[in-house]
Amino acid sequence: MNADIRAITIFTTLAALAATAVMLVPGVAIAWLLARRQFPGKSLVETAVSLPLVMPPVATGLILLWLFGRRGPLGALLARAGIEIVFTPAAVVMAMAVMGLPLLVRTARAGFEQVTRRYEQIAETLGAGPWRVFSTITLPLASRNILAGAMLGFSRALGEFGATIVVAGSIPGRTRTLAVGIYSFTETGQDRQAAILLAISIAIAFVAVLASNRLARER
Amino acid sequence: MLAEGVDAQAPSQKPPAAASREVVVSAAVSLTDVLQQLAQTYQARTGERVVLNLGSSNTLARQVAAGARVDLFISADEAQMDVAAADLVPGTRVNLLSNQLAIAVPDDRPRRLASPRDLADPAFARIAIGDPAAVPAGVYAKQYLQMIGIWPAVERKLIPAGSVRLALAAVENGAADAAIVYHTDVATASHAREAFVVPVAAGPPIAYPAAVVRTGANPDGAKRLLAFLQGRDAMAVFTRAGFLAPPVREK
Repeated sequence: MNADIRAITIFTTLAALAATAVMLVPGVAIAWLLARRQFPGKSLVETAVSLPLVMPPVATGLILLWLFGRRGPLGALLARAGIEIVFTPAAVVMAMAVMGLPLLVRTARAGFEQVTRRYEQIAETLGAGPWRVFSTITLPLASRNILAGAMLGFSRALGEFGATIVVAGSIPGRTRTLAVGIYSFTETGQDRQAAILLAISIAIAFVAVLASNRLARER
Repeated sequence: MLAEGVDAQAPSQKPPAAASREVVVSAAVSLTDVLQQLAQTYQARTGERVVLNLGSSNTLARQVAAGARVDLFISADEAQMDVAAADLVPGTRVNLLSNQLAIAVPDDRPRRLASPRDLADPAFARIAIGDPAAVPAGVYAKQYLQMIGIWPAVERKLIPAGSVRLALAAVENGAADAAIVYHTDVATASHAREAFVVPVAAGPPIAYPAAVVRTGANPDGAKRLLAFLQGRDAMAVFTRAGFLAPPVREK
């Protein structure tokens, strides 16, 4: 395996891990809110979170590009602070996180919904505050689903292509991931490189899905 | 012999009736706007439908090499035409056009460059070009940057794009500070301005070869369309869009 291929593999794995870390807290929070709370606009939030799952990934990438490009509302703000997102590794992580979030939310939400309400109520009657109930009863009971959701989100992040190529491009040594690399190498006639990346991504995805399935089954 | 090849590709496919004839053209994306215009003219004149498959020439060449049912292939460089060489009808390859490179910048930060070497300036943090591994515009851009001696200085600032129009788009949406594209591309952009035009003599020679593809369903239609594109009326349209007459072939 040459240095380029190794660098792409390591970068993609680290970026997907970073994306999973980024989506974890908001993902779990949204999942809990959707499972346990009624609030105005709930169905809107529900729909919005799932959109990246259904929309063409390229469209999601385009939205991110509009938001975070130098001419976009958020991009202009960040540019003033000297922060650039588009075409940087941060853009890769962002695209991966947005695309992986729906899977985490859906799986974690199912986990929260399966937690028996009674356990939480008993803890409450014993004087536990809402945070204590959440962190000692709800979260541990839903942890298997959260982990499975995180694994799914991670797997999705690893394979992310459409949003990544639009908002992060395919810059060797900077933003080129496994999926984007396979495409770029194929497009430019470097079939051997593409085939090696293909084999690597199959291996990683296989392990990730296997682990995720096992987690989901074992509860 | 030709029909035999076609039949071997897709035995079920019958040659379409003359009335519904269409010519499938795979053409370099830099030709998008002129070809759309010329396709309409041709269609109005002959009744033959022109179907355009536009993309970066390296993508198109690989599609042709993979047996895509394309009648006419117009590449933005010789190298990609060579990739498809085995699938071309011998003797039909011609040099259709030429072009010149240009440096495009975002229209909210327009400027004129006194010298293309200014690209080495830190003000240009990100420069988009076609992927120099195969996209013709990127190959030309790399050659040019090497010719003017700033390739090592700018190499790390380059954003390789999947096609020349994507490089231009990176400038238009403000993600890149400059792009090296074709002179003819800049005119089609709504949010980019031309900062520098590379004089023909100062840049790498640019050629758009065209050839009839063997695996196509309508080789005769492809020949007629190619003749039309080489004709005076079409050349006038190409020239008006900024394209140049083809360079004289050395071979």
